[in-house]
Amino acid sequence: MKIQTITTIISLFIGLTTYAQQEPEKVDKGYKVEIKTSAVCEMCKEAIESDLVFEKGVKDVNLDVDSKMLTVVYNEKKTDPQTIRKRVSKVGYHADDVKRDPIAYENLPLCCKDGAHSEDHH
Amino acid sequence: MLCISLCAQAAISQTLTGSVIDNTGEPLIGATVLESGTQNGTITDVEGKFSLELSSPQSMLQISFTGFESKLVKPNFKSIMRIEMTESSESLNDVVVTGSSTFMDDLEAKHVEVISSAELTKAACCNLSESFETNASVDVSYTDAVSGAKTIQMLGLDGRYVQTNRENIPHIRGLISRYGMGYVPGTWLQSIDVGKGAGTVVNGYESMTGQLNVELKKPENSEKLYLNGYVNSFGRAEVNANHATDLNDKWSTALLLHSNYLGTEIDGNDDDFMDLPKSRQINFMNRYKYMGDRIRSQIGLQVMHDDKAGGQLGFGFGDDFKTSPMYGFSNQTTRVELFGKTGVLFPNKPYQGWGFMYSGAYTDIDAGFGRDDYSGQEKTIYGNAIYQNIIGNSFHQYKAGVSMLYDDFNEVYVDSAFARTEIVPGAFFEYSFLPGDNFSLIAGGRADFHNLYGTFLTPRLHTRYQLTEHTAVRLAIGRGYRVGNPLVENINALVSNRQFMVTEELNPEISWNMGGSVTTKLDVGDRHINLIGDYFYTTFENQLIYDMDQNSHRVTIYNLDGQSYAHSFQIEAKYQLNEFFGLKSAYKYYDVRTTIDGQLRHVPYISKNRLFLNASYSTKYDKWKADATLQWFGSKRLPNTSDKPTEFQLGSRTKDFLLLNTQVSRGFRWGSIYLGSENLLNFTQSNPIVDAENPFGNEFDASMIWAPITGRMIYVGFRYKIER
Repeated sequence: MKIQTITTIISLFIGLTTYAQQEPEKVDKGYKVEIKTSAVCEMCKEAIESDLVFEKGVKDVNLDVDSKMLTVVYNEKKTDPQTIRKRVSKVGYHADDVKRDPIAYENLPLCCKDGAHSEDHH
Repeated sequence: MLCISLCAQAAISQTLTGSVIDNTGEPLIGATVLESGTQNGTITDVEGKFSLELSSPQSMLQISFTGFESKLVKPNFKSIMRIEMTESSESLNDVVVTGSSTFMDDLEAKHVEVISSAELTKAACCNLSESFETNASVDVSYTDAVSGAKTIQMLGLDGRYVQTNRENIPHIRGLISRYGMGYVPGTWLQSIDVGKGAGTVVNGYESMTGQLNVELKKPENSEKLYLNGYVNSFGRAEVNANHATDLNDKWSTALLLHSNYLGTEIDGNDDDFMDLPKSRQINFMNRYKYMGDRIRSQIGLQVMHDDKAGGQLGFGFGDDFKTSPMYGFSNQTTRVELFGKTGVLFPNKPYQGWGFMYSGAYTDIDAGFGRDDYSGQEKTIYGNAIYQNIIGNSFHQYKAGVSMLYDDFNEVYVDSAFARTEIVPGAFFEYSFLPGDNFSLIAGGRADFHNLYGTFLTPRLHTRYQLTEHTAVRLAIGRGYRVGNPLVENINALVSNRQFMVTEELNPEISWNMGGSVTTKLDVGDRHINLIGDYFYTTFENQLIYDMDQNSHRVTIYNLDGQSYAHSFQIEAKYQLNEFFGLKSAYKYYDVRTTIDGQLRHVPYISKNRLFLNASYSTKYDKWKADATLQWFGSKRLPNTSDKPTEFQLGSRTKDFLLLNTQVSRGFRWGSIYLGSENLLNFTQSNPIVDAENPFGNEFDASMIWAPITGRMIYVGFRYKIER
């Protein structure tokens, strides 16, 4: 835990974009994992959630647009965090260290792409 | 597309600032920005900017502007919001907010509920008449025991007083006023607006008790592919396929296909009559949309053929009812319709525009009822040109225009022929006063010059007043006209041995409708109960009386001589318990009386009291959905049968009964599968046909229907979608 924190701090410090994956945590209905995504708006939230909700073994999904964190509750007998990350990538978004699928990204609506919201930073 | 930016650096506050722009980035001046569900709101300034303090950070923002699609947006306190509005795909359409499944536009002066596509999937089968199952305002009933057709009622009055438009063009009227709901497939529907009371003058003089507007799947935004298969325990099978695609950056097209087949003979009550006719239908529509910078245009073609064979068991498609040993019912309807709209917009003045909508339809009906044959042809040409603009600023808006109806009827029943040609030019003006969010008023009038019946003057007035933050009052009054089609409107009585007697020259039906509604919200914890109470009073200056009381062997048809009125009262409560569970309940009271045979009587087949309960459950993104609707119908009056032999007399009143419909569906990435039931409690009217053993005898009557004839029905289906 301590080492992980230090790694996180260092990676932030030196400006790396890698992100420390969080470990799944046992909850009532199964396991909960938090995944950092590249979602930027409400449409991205809907795209990811509406896809992941139908993923095998997934019991609940919620994406917080501000922190870009996707929280997934899943049945550990049917799926695992890496499968879930790969699915997020297939929708067109980065998921922790799993890079987004470039073809899926191309097909995203304009407002979900990189830089789509930079014009608003005035 | 609307996107809200996220800028983590800005400080959090309860005050929202932002601007409203069109898709070219031009500011929209005078757009309404409202904290949804409250009267807290503002109007954008000359630069399109607004600033609004929200009473709750959880509230949604509702933005509306004439000529644009209204939007519900999450507030973003962290940066200056830029809200891009999309011009209304239906230019000159009334503004409609999308969001929950059944809802009312808070700012609309007219009492209009919208049934969205999400709500429509709860009625999986089969056509427009089934689309009101989860809606409390529209009542659906069977017309007779043989044809299987369903018809609607509103405000306690026959569906013929409801104007049913398809994309604002009058649609179910004339010869298809009874069976026409069956010609609008459920899978083609995008949404339905249910307006109670007199409607807008823009669409004509015919909306007397209400107005339905059916929006079909659009070329520009429907799924690339939509497939639906359905089968039920009666043996009815349906295949539906929709396809929509962009042809280039301006043109798009949609192809809508529907076919259904029922070949089995259902006779649950062992009276040797099919409870539902065998049926087969092919229905096809191809529509195109053009979206230019200044011109929006669409055109479509629909071709439909429907074939029904019912009556006594063994009577099949194509059998000759005149020589068959069986009592046969057959109906072959073919309809071809070309329709379209063109709108001219002014890019810098979104409130200004020209619109022209038109349709041309040919309907051909060949039908047989026992030994009697009926044939009818109708040729309709309709055009409506609308100009919309503001007076000074967007507080004062108006629509003005001219319309033209050409309607040619040719009907033959046994040895009598009826023909008439209606030519009705008309003009209208509708003024809207929209000074803010607390008050709005729409005043309209039209004059139509009927070649057969003289001038129709139709004034209408709608107003809305926001009493408190959560409470709005709407009031409306208006006159309405229609020209009746006694044969098709009594098509239920054709499946009987009643004689048709028209005792005098028939005049148009004229009504006044007045009433209003109160909508309010009661807080229950952090949720609320939505309450809608409404009362409408309809009274007739003239009405066509279809008298089944005077003589049980006749339908006597004449003009109203005396009083005729309907009081309708409804109270509805909606409560979303949590993210998953929702409840809806309604109580309806109808007092509907008319002068029949010189005596003011209750109109037959109308329950004085009704209850409606709906429970729905859905998980995120509709992965699981379940829905149940329970309806209780109070006792109804039956037409007088005391002149029949004792064994064929019906009582003067029916018993009350319960109907329960349920559905469960499971969503997938590709679509959904569903399982449901209709009439789960299996209540049916016993002996729906009087003297069924002797259909060519004097006492036979299959028109006296007050409850379902078919029992419990189970269905399964799937929907497969490929998004654009």
